[in-house]
Amino acid sequence: MMEKDKLRKTDIYSGAAIFLFGLWIILQALKMPMKDSWGGVQNVWYVSPAIFPLFVGCMIMLLGGLLCRIALKTVGFKAFGQTVRWLLSKNLLQFLNSLSNLRYYFIVVLFLSFVFLTIPRIDFFLSAFLFLVVFITSFYLDDAILLKKLFFFYLAGIIVLILYFALGLNDPLGRIVPFAADILTICFLVSYSVYAWLLVRGNPLLRKKYRIAMIVAFVSPFVVGMIFKYFLLVPMPSEGLVVAVTDYLWYFEF
Amino acid sequence: MVLFERIGFFFQAAFQIASDPLHIAILFGSVLLGIIFGAMPGLTSTLGVALLTTMTYGMDTATAMLCLLSIYVGGTYGGSYSSILINIPGTAASAATALDGYPLALKGEGGKAIGLTTTSSAIGTIISMLFLVCISPMISFFALQFTSFEFFLLAFFGILISGTLTSPDLVIKGWIAGFLGLFLACVGRDMLQFYPRFTFGIPELDSGVEVVPVLIGAFGIPQIIQILKDQFQIGETQKFQRILPEFGTILKNIPKIIRAALIGVGIGAVPGIGEDIAAWVSYGAAKNASKHPERFGKGEYTAVLSTEVANNACVGGAMIPLLNLGIPGSPPAAMLLGALMLHGVTPGPMINFEHPGFIIEVAAILLMASLSMWVVGMLLAKQVVKVLRIPTQIFMPIIGVLCIIGSYALGMNIYNLYLMLPVGFISYFLIEMGYPIAPLVIGVILGPMADENLRRALMVSQGSFLPVFTRPVALVLFLIIVWTVLSQFQFIKHYKNKIVGKIFPGRAAKIELLPKISSKPSEKK
Repeated sequence: MMEKDKLRKTDIYSGAAIFLFGLWIILQALKMPMKDSWGGVQNVWYVSPAIFPLFVGCMIMLLGGLLCRIALKTVGFKAFGQTVRWLLSKNLLQFLNSLSNLRYYFIVVLFLSFVFLTIPRIDFFLSAFLFLVVFITSFYLDDAILLKKLFFFYLAGIIVLILYFALGLNDPLGRIVPFAADILTICFLVSYSVYAWLLVRGNPLLRKKYRIAMIVAFVSPFVVGMIFKYFLLVPMPSEGLVVAVTDYLWYFEF
Repeated sequence: MVLFERIGFFFQAAFQIASDPLHIAILFGSVLLGIIFGAMPGLTSTLGVALLTTMTYGMDTATAMLCLLSIYVGGTYGGSYSSILINIPGTAASAATALDGYPLALKGEGGKAIGLTTTSSAIGTIISMLFLVCISPMISFFALQFTSFEFFLLAFFGILISGTLTSPDLVIKGWIAGFLGLFLACVGRDMLQFYPRFTFGIPELDSGVEVVPVLIGAFGIPQIIQILKDQFQIGETQKFQRILPEFGTILKNIPKIIRAALIGVGIGAVPGIGEDIAAWVSYGAAKNASKHPERFGKGEYTAVLSTEVANNACVGGAMIPLLNLGIPGSPPAAMLLGALMLHGVTPGPMINFEHPGFIIEVAAILLMASLSMWVVGMLLAKQVVKVLRIPTQIFMPIIGVLCIIGSYALGMNIYNLYLMLPVGFISYFLIEMGYPIAPLVIGVILGPMADENLRRALMVSQGSFLPVFTRPVALVLFLIIVWTVLSQFQFIKHYKNKIVGKIFPGRAAKIELLPKISSKPSEKK
């Protein structure tokens, strides 16, 4: 959590945003049937589906306004000017480029790419392995320069994957080569691992950390995935190359 | 059920658990997992219960409850390990334990402190279990008299009080978080007229927002971001000697144990607030009542005992409103509510008719969980402490994968992930800006109850709010809500202190000097 001074300054904006959000809820709720007929039933205001959202919207708007007022009373209107000056200064760029924020961007990109890109399209074990390899190596190596390099390498790989799916290459390629997307992901995984190895090979401590990261990243998805797939009988979000192999082994009649 | 029949059923349920090797394995495994979740800074018992819920949907209700309650009990106790040995609370519930636990470890009495927390946590859970069994029939009977107005007001009170007590900054932020949760609960088709609200034409939103992905997102994702972004490192663990049960210290402090247990049960029973507040209040009460308050903070055994009894007593306390009213008493209890619904059990006043003996069964599980927690604590503490050596950069990404597969596994719906992730990111920003997350989650859970009951009540009264003032329980609840809101205003606080000062001279000044509960050093929840 931030310091009290900063909190009050952000409260002005968060309070205003919450106030507007409450207003939006009310406007949306007013579009719901209040006294009109819905599904053949004549409505009365007190059973209308709008009544509760209206109540919630009013409360959010009221509380957002109050928060904004309290914050303005505490830090005054001067805070506006200070914030605008800060936004126009070099400090903003420095803030956005800070190491702590780089770590934040990396985590956000990792989660977004995992959930919205790889999980629905690529075999679960491969996508989880990719996610863990990148996540653990980048943070466990604990080196700002390495983190930057690995982040940009991962970003480049993700852009390639986005283009591959956005251009619709998966369907025609999939007809020629089975599990084309999974094979592409394996190539990405191998190139990332090699790149990370090249970066750490000169340092014995980092080499040890790299080995631990690779082992954990490889073992964890298999343990978790196997429990869900074969013991809890949950089909994986996307089943491809690895699931085909594990299915073959699991259901193989010795 | 007659008293003897109830006692008989209780022991029968306990014996059933003890005689089944699978149940014993699940019991000890879950308790151990709970202790690990509690001990690891960054992981909470709420997250533990949330992640394990996704693995229990294939089990029968009793086994699932055994698994989830054991992890809850273990998680609440496990936080004391890191509090005592590295001065970092494993969970928010054990933050107060660190104040005196760590100085004890520095004196070389870490083993004694862990032994004391183990025994006192088990005693706290057992006392709260007794309260659950004794009070539940009365509350259930009382709740049967409730009409829709009372249920609406109760849900509303739950959100308000949770917002008031859990906010680390301004109380108003807690209330905003609660109402944001209520808004999320509005999404989907309404239950009375089936009208789509805030669905934007997306069919997946028609059934509303799923509780479990929201819970996992709200508690799991911000935790991962915070720990990795701020490069949180676990410090070096203090060495400790043999762990003994410390029965001597326990016997000497029976009145203090009873006081701490009462505080724990009472605070646990208040909707939406949990073990952390119980531990702080109990610590404060122990210090106020002590003949040597100057020893507190320097390694006082009664302080460790009071906080640990209270936070574990909260577990049973939180079960009382959860099972009898359908209102969770703490964040992990909110998760348990989701799990119960998943297993077709709807907690509330009708639970004794729909599932006779279920509350007794829960009490038996609590007893078994506390006993197994004591055994695991006594025998495996030295081994469990080794998990504190695992770097956070390794286990947090694995928790990320568990959050994702866990959210997906419930309903096998990939849309749950699309919901969980934005909720997680928004929760992270809200936490950074000083908004508590527990009221948001309580809002999501109590939203449908508040919505349905408000409209049903108005339907019965033909749009009149008069029954709020004519029905005694509704009026009491309404007055409590009004007081909860008004008491936050500065001028009311001023007049209250003035009146208290006139009636009890010297007390007003003492009230002013008391630290605000929410300004606790941990913001883990």
